[in-house]
Amino acid sequence: MAIDSLAVVAQAPKISIAQAVRRYSCPMHPEVTSNKPGKCRKCGMTLRLTPPKSETTPPITSINPNTSSAMRLPDVTIQDQNGKSLSFYRDLVKGKVVAVNFVFTTCTAICPPLTANFRRLQQQLIEQKVDAQLISISVDPTTDTPERLHAFAEKFKAEPGWTFVTGDSADIDAILKEFGVAVANKNDHTPMVLIGNDETGYWTRAYGLTSPSALVKLIIEAANRKSP
Amino acid sequence: MWFFVVLCIAFTSASEVSAQDSLALRQSRGRQIYRQGTSQSGKQILAYIGDASVEVPGSSIACAGCHGLDGRGKPEGGVNPSNVTWESLTKPYGSKNPEGRQHPPYTERALELAITRGVDPGGNKLLRAMPRYTMSREDLSDLTSYLQVLGKDSEPGVSDDKIVIGTLTPASGSLVELGRSVTAVTKAVFDEINSQGGIYGRRVELQVVEGTDNAAATRVKLEPLLKEQQMFAMSGAILAGAEKEIIPLLSQNDTPLVGPFTLYPQLGFPLNRQVFYLLSGLDGQARSLLNFIAQKPEFKKSNLAVIAPRTEFYTSVIDAVKEQQKKNSSNTPVIVQFESGHFDVADAIKQSKQSAAEIVLFVGSGDDALSFMREAEKLNWFPVVLVPGGGIGAAVFGAPAGFDRKVFFSFATAPADHTQEGLQEFHALATKYKLPSTHIAAQVSAYAAAKMLVEALKRVGKDLTREKLIQVLEEFHDYSTGLTPPITYGPNRRIGATGAYIIAIDLKEKTFVPVSGWVDSN
Repeated sequence: MAIDSLAVVAQAPKISIAQAVRRYSCPMHPEVTSNKPGKCRKCGMTLRLTPPKSETTPPITSINPNTSSAMRLPDVTIQDQNGKSLSFYRDLVKGKVVAVNFVFTTCTAICPPLTANFRRLQQQLIEQKVDAQLISISVDPTTDTPERLHAFAEKFKAEPGWTFVTGDSADIDAILKEFGVAVANKNDHTPMVLIGNDETGYWTRAYGLTSPSALVKLIIEAANRKSP
Repeated sequence: MWFFVVLCIAFTSASEVSAQDSLALRQSRGRQIYRQGTSQSGKQILAYIGDASVEVPGSSIACAGCHGLDGRGKPEGGVNPSNVTWESLTKPYGSKNPEGRQHPPYTERALELAITRGVDPGGNKLLRAMPRYTMSREDLSDLTSYLQVLGKDSEPGVSDDKIVIGTLTPASGSLVELGRSVTAVTKAVFDEINSQGGIYGRRVELQVVEGTDNAAATRVKLEPLLKEQQMFAMSGAILAGAEKEIIPLLSQNDTPLVGPFTLYPQLGFPLNRQVFYLLSGLDGQARSLLNFIAQKPEFKKSNLAVIAPRTEFYTSVIDAVKEQQKKNSSNTPVIVQFESGHFDVADAIKQSKQSAAEIVLFVGSGDDALSFMREAEKLNWFPVVLVPGGGIGAAVFGAPAGFDRKVFFSFATAPADHTQEGLQEFHALATKYKLPSTHIAAQVSAYAAAKMLVEALKRVGKDLTREKLIQVLEEFHDYSTGLTPPITYGPNRRIGATGAYIIAIDLKEKTFVPVSGWVDSN
């Protein structure tokens, strides 16, 4: 029970782009920011409207609602479970609705349930004819060769439309950082699913063991988001 | 009604059978369920996750994955699996877990309900990451029997005062003498460590398993010992032709092996986690030879022919050559194979010459290589000849003069690897334990293997398990044995020193001339 509610808590506040771009900050204390006009809590000065990052450097992809900053998924070359080289953003995310989770093949505790959950999610997406791509990114790319990922994908009967991602650790790190899930120790990786609609720039996140049917709902919701 | 009666009878007889089975037998069956999520009975074990819509085989989510081989729980990804050792589950005052769930002590029945229905003795739901399992009554009862001893079952081959390490040596055939030298040096390394008090108070005891020169017969001797789990690990086993029979047995029986003697490491996917090789086999050395040649601008665009007997051992060599050639050059090699023992020199010449090969990688006997070079000489054709492992030996000096410095051998280790300290240590050991003065190269390998195993056992510490040994070995990085190239392993790496030294053959002076430093095989 407690866990089901956790799924909802973990889900991000849905901030639209219009809201995300309005930021006010103190001229003396730039760390004091707000999304409403007001006074600085440190010195009492009136907060000024600051141009959002996205105005100076437009995001290539989408908005991450959790940080309200631009999410720039790097277009690095990665390898899938069949050893095929792909461009991460262009081939896997661009213009698509995606659900992304984070695993590693030598992880014996949380990754099998996470992956089994994704497997069931894929079945439900197929049954309900929801067009969404599943992506499982290895947080241990040095160990996880495409061969290892292939065996792992096979164990959980992954079907086409579900890509397991590995590559150079610097490139994978760049992806993880942008998703906000980079950790120093792979065992601390967050059991999380990120759901995004690249076309509209809408992203949300959920606990990795949220029931597949609840995840399907979140994906449909993401898919139906209109472009801002 | 009748159906019900029949069912009852069937059920009673089944549980009677299981009650008759000794506790030890039930526990050992339960251990397999706990560790691997499979039943010896072959009956299905299924796991359900979350809202029960997710069904996976038990083998995908075995208990040990989260709760650990010792039952104490492995925190990962924000999930803290409970300690499921019997003492912890049955604490008389119950438990309160970090989420605030409180429950009275477990009983056997309560444990069964936790496993099958996901509730604790207080009636609370377990963590979402804990699956619910379905399995037969007998399997469930085996599993709970095992859970009562989990964490207390001693590691195979380890007791309070000794660690049993096995080795395999041929008692017949051409390698008997070599085997004796190897066993003597392995024993000396262990005796020496025992004379210093052993490892954390445990003596290292060597169990010598005598094989034969017949792979199947060797398997018959070794397999029961592995099944009985007498040895904690093995060191310096002489596999010589029995690789395909022996190597899989080690992983089937969870027995680590350090430094086997073989030119044919079994490195296919999935990785055999238990076996750690010291040096490159013929496949890795062939890669080094190709890398060595690729460094030379004049051979950048040369065609390559591979001549090898058609046996399953050489398949890995040919695959390695193909893969490495793909990395180094755009030219696909021509592969010329022949039936082992029936080298058709005319055909080999014809095929490799037709492909305009300037480089020939030769795997096979010295006689075959020599006859190949003599035939080539008749056509005034003198390609570069690469011989991984240098298996031809001194017979190569009989090659036609036109091949002077055009024949290259590879060696997985060289005297350059011997450090002053390493040599002193080895000589001291040889003197103290009166080691034979024959087969020094083999002794050096066995010495390095045993030394490395001892080092790994020390690094694991007192709480010794095979899994920890494997993890510790995987962390070896540039470990110096003193007599081999530095040894590095990793989760995907089982060759300690991946590379070779290249030696050219000077036919005028009849000498081996080192022409390279260490050439990596990657």
